[in-house]
Amino acid sequence: MREISYRDALREALREEMIRDPTVFLIGEDIGRYWGGAFKVTKGLAEEFGDERVRDTPISENAIIGVAVGAAITGMRPVAEIMFGDLTALAMDQIANQAAKIRYMFGGQAKVPLVIRTPFGGGVNIAAHHSQSLEAWFMHVPGLQVVVASTPYDAKGLLKTAIRNDNPVVFCEHKLLYPLTGHVPEEEYTIPFGVADVKREGTDVTVVATLYMVHKALAAAETLAKEGISVEVVDPRTLVPLDKETITESVRKTGRVVIVTEDCKTAGVSAELAALIAEEALDYLDAPIKRVTTFDVPIPFSPPLENFVIPDEKRIIKAIKEII
Amino acid sequence: MPALLRMPKLSLTMKTGTVVRWYKREGETVEKGEPIVEVLSEKVTCDVEAPASGVLRKIVAKEGEEIPVNGILAVITMPDEPLPEIEEIEKAVTVEFKKPVEKRILASPAAKRLAREYGIDLSQVVGSGPEGRIVEADVRRFIEEKVGYAPKIREAIPLVGIRKMTAEKVSLSKKTAPHCTITMKVDMNEATKLKEKLGVSYTEIIVKAVALALKEHPIMNSSLKNDKIEVYEDVNIGVAVATGEGLVVPVVKNADRKNLNQLSSEIKMLVEKARTGKLEKGDVSGGTFTITNLGMYGVEAFTPIINPPETAILGVGKIEEIPIVVNGEVKIRPVTVLSLSFDHRVIDGAPAAEFLGKIKEFLEKPSRLEN
Repeated sequence: MREISYRDALREALREEMIRDPTVFLIGEDIGRYWGGAFKVTKGLAEEFGDERVRDTPISENAIIGVAVGAAITGMRPVAEIMFGDLTALAMDQIANQAAKIRYMFGGQAKVPLVIRTPFGGGVNIAAHHSQSLEAWFMHVPGLQVVVASTPYDAKGLLKTAIRNDNPVVFCEHKLLYPLTGHVPEEEYTIPFGVADVKREGTDVTVVATLYMVHKALAAAETLAKEGISVEVVDPRTLVPLDKETITESVRKTGRVVIVTEDCKTAGVSAELAALIAEEALDYLDAPIKRVTTFDVPIPFSPPLENFVIPDEKRIIKAIKEII
Repeated sequence: MPALLRMPKLSLTMKTGTVVRWYKREGETVEKGEPIVEVLSEKVTCDVEAPASGVLRKIVAKEGEEIPVNGILAVITMPDEPLPEIEEIEKAVTVEFKKPVEKRILASPAAKRLAREYGIDLSQVVGSGPEGRIVEADVRRFIEEKVGYAPKIREAIPLVGIRKMTAEKVSLSKKTAPHCTITMKVDMNEATKLKEKLGVSYTEIIVKAVALALKEHPIMNSSLKNDKIEVYEDVNIGVAVATGEGLVVPVVKNADRKNLNQLSSEIKMLVEKARTGKLEKGDVSGGTFTITNLGMYGVEAFTPIINPPETAILGVGKIEEIPIVVNGEVKIRPVTVLSLSFDHRVIDGAPAAEFLGKIKEFLEKPSRLEN
């Protein structure tokens, strides 16, 4: 099977969906022919589909989402790009108060088939305004669906499903994932929402991880395997809807769980997952639930400090060993 | 705060203790750790030490008095401290009493679940986790080492309703009545002809045969009560019926005085009531003898348990066509085996065998059953 990058997998998904469905269009800052997106995901698409369907905008996040919500209601399938996840804060009224609620408030007479693509995460030394992981914000708004794709295969399959989905989807990417390569089939496929993926099977402890943390967890699992500790890595792939079944089933098997997410700890993704496991698999836990997350601080600009606050393989290994 | 001197627990089984002798009188100064009273339990005496220094303000338990474990013996206060009302102290003590004195066992939820599934007392398990927490592996090890092979429990079904009643009845029966079971083969050739002629079932024919046999052997129709055998005038025959809820035994009253057609319609009605759970108290009480039939399940013979306080029970096996010798010739005949369990306190083997022989006779020559 061929290997392509996460970035190329996303582009393939966009391109294929734009060919398949003329109502699909892209909107965002610098995504057009002059720049092809800050992370080059949309490179070449304006040339192929024209400026009408790959719309460059000014720096105006609230307007981007507002336009996209309006277009979606009228029957288009917009894919909006917010250059950095942190900047979704500027569009939060449109996302949380409009996109998420319209289908409900109009009793289903209107729907918002909108995808908001945006990269989260640190590790590239661009400081507090450009390095956050805010997936939990969107999980907390009923009406939004939240995707966290960690591999090129998942990214392509999930983005296609997101575009065909009739609900607003926040499609969370990660800056460090774009160059990552992996198997992606040539032929058409989609990945349903709400189906977690066991990225590595193990018997001693479950690690639930998302986005770039999946890869750090896999590295930790590989290291621990040499010491005879068998780690199962579960990637939820979508946080809303959440595949409770696969997560709790894994915990029932191993009796131990470490949750690794890059957002900060308090009221974060890890808190929700920990609560779920406590509610639905308590009787199978043989040790306290452990969470490895970014510390509750703004991401520092200083590279050593940034590396310190974001979870790394060592911290994951330490947490696992504390409960093994 | 006054300090309370309490009755110590001197042994695991100790429930109360007796105050033997006070070493101190009210108003005397006591030092913490100083023995101030001697108590006795199950022939063990022990000195009880002052729990705090101060003044022995109030002796609650007099010499010779029996006090429950943890019960209040005396109150020690500071010299200038007011003594609260004794009721208040007692109230405080009662409240404290009610609190379960239970050490919290540190165990992971998974360990607790496993212990629950195997019925293991976690206080017996040594924990290997952080702060001595019992983890799943500890319970597993305990099961392997101490319990040996313990089957995993899938569910615990509460013993209620018919199941509970049956459990109590059969164990009472087996505990009190020494059972003896004898069996006899019966050629059902003639009974089968009668069955077809009258359009009734084997059950009615057997009920009738038993009822008439009981009239001739009344001792079988009795109950042993204390030191008397009460022999019944009435012949009320219970017919055991298996239902989804369990075994029930509706009773055919005065079976000896009913003809086969009457028995047939009455038994049909009772069985229907039993299957639909509509039996009333009158339908299931007053039995003097029971018949139980496992023939339809292919059972040949068995050892039925007497339905207390009755004296005997008849088990009916399957009716099977087998070759038997009739008048020196081998014939294929429908044959069943009757199993009679009787209470050996009431009757011995020989008369019981005669009774069973009588039933056999009625079934093999059933003309008398037709009336």
